[in-house]
Amino acid sequence: MKIRGVFIEDTFAEAFTMRVARIVITARSYRWVRAAALKLTGFATSVIGCKVEAGIERELPAKDTPDGRPGISILLMTMGKDDLPKRLIERVGQTVLTCPTTACYDGLPDAPDRVGVGSALRFFGDGFQVSKVLAGQRFWRIPVMEGEFLVQEKFGMLKGVGGGNFLILARSADAALEAAEAAADSMAGRPGIILPFPGGVVRSGSKVGSRRIKSMIASTNDAFCPTLRAVTATALPEGVNSVLEIVVNGVDANSIASGMKAGIDAACRDGVVAISAGNYGGKLGPHHFYLRKIMSGAAE
Amino acid sequence: MSGGLVAKLKEPLRQRADFSEVLAGSWAALSARELSDRPVHLERDGDARLGDLFALDGQAQGRIRFVGELDQADRLGAGLIEGEVVVEGGVGREAGLAQAGGRIDIGGDAGPRAGAAPLGFKRGMTGGELIVRGSAGAEAGAAMRRGLLIILHTAADRAGLGMIAGTVVVFGPVGTDAGLWSKRGSVVALGRITPPPTYSYACTFQPVHLRLLLTRLRDSYGLPVRPRHLNGFYRRYSGDMAELGKGEILAWTAK
Repeated sequence: MKIRGVFIEDTFAEAFTMRVARIVITARSYRWVRAAALKLTGFATSVIGCKVEAGIERELPAKDTPDGRPGISILLMTMGKDDLPKRLIERVGQTVLTCPTTACYDGLPDAPDRVGVGSALRFFGDGFQVSKVLAGQRFWRIPVMEGEFLVQEKFGMLKGVGGGNFLILARSADAALEAAEAAADSMAGRPGIILPFPGGVVRSGSKVGSRRIKSMIASTNDAFCPTLRAVTATALPEGVNSVLEIVVNGVDANSIASGMKAGIDAACRDGVVAISAGNYGGKLGPHHFYLRKIMSGAAE
Repeated sequence: MSGGLVAKLKEPLRQRADFSEVLAGSWAALSARELSDRPVHLERDGDARLGDLFALDGQAQGRIRFVGELDQADRLGAGLIEGEVVVEGGVGREAGLAQAGGRIDIGGDAGPRAGAAPLGFKRGMTGGELIVRGSAGAEAGAAMRRGLLIILHTAADRAGLGMIAGTVVVFGPVGTDAGLWSKRGSVVALGRITPPPTYSYACTFQPVHLRLLLTRLRDSYGLPVRPRHLNGFYRRYSGDMAELGKGEILAWTAK
């Protein structure tokens, strides 16, 4: 299969089941809602080193937020269901509670699994906190020096999918970056997915384990490193001098497949030789995103 | 949800009528026939059935609409735990007395002690929403423990008297002694109010939870929430200092 001259390899991305929460932050202006969102999603690229993967899903106009102020929705994901409440409490407590004018709401109101967030953060109020129940949902008003921080008591938790990906194999670093930027731009703001890495792009794709250090969980994906072509079992076609990866997490497999399709399509441009994907032989992750099926319109 | 059950008053009420057992407990799944058997106590004529006074039509399915002049109907919606009750006009005393859930939407005025506690009892509303689209008589929301009471016009004296928690929102002027003896809870005044002397001014600020509440009231129930209510400032008074002092009056101000 070729798209505008770019070869689509007959392979698949292997992804994992994760737990996901959607956080809706609002503030008086986009300046402050972005400030909180960027802090909350900082250092959250991979569970390998950050315990959590998070990203901005999309900006919300004031008319679409619970309190009618500018907002941003964020997806925050962990591998285990016990980890999610811990990470939510840490991050909302340190980055949203602290940020001027913000409030924080659950973005998965229909999810049957609920985890306590405001119910833990309320203790910061030192007994001065006040709860209000609205439409069956409890909210906590936590007094702070600026005024009050409003946070929903419980947040929904769903089974999501993490680790959808594709690799852009390009003739030059410039071409790889240009294609990756186009892919990330085309995927940004799509409901149900996030790109947890910087700018949505990863340059350091990894393989499971290490050739030399047994305790390492992951190490460089040497098969896709152009500088190692001569000294390792390379997976790179001739003419490829740079590879970038797009990693995509989402609330479900369909959202990821839809995002991958848009991203791959945008990445198929001059200077790109092929599109590939990262997998572990299909033995580790239950979700397999076949590139050719996705690009021909079939889902996972 | 379907259009629900319509209860049309057959003849004008010529005496006070106690509706406290009509919608208490579970009722939302009952048929028109079953509901028509629920008792109403008439001040002079004694016990009657709802079906004696009203023509009931349709299937309740969680919703009932009362049509007719009900100014003499007392305790309508008392003890409500579920469903939606719509009254096209006004009602008598103690509407939504000790309401625990569901929603009551009164199109006109409500008499004294709407959403309050039964006399001699400690707790008024413990849940649900009570909307009075007209004015409310004295002691609306007295001893509320939870829930939301909305009054679109005037609230007479002692609204939120002895509140334990919950929220009373008044769009129009509020009478004297609102929130007197309250332990917790909020009286939100979008119109004129003079807090009792046992309340202390804290600050003027923009409470986000009020934006959330008022946005929902506007979007879900079509209540006349104005941009000045959403974007405005509120003077916060803490009280009643003769009690716990954890209650509040939030008084909208043009600053």
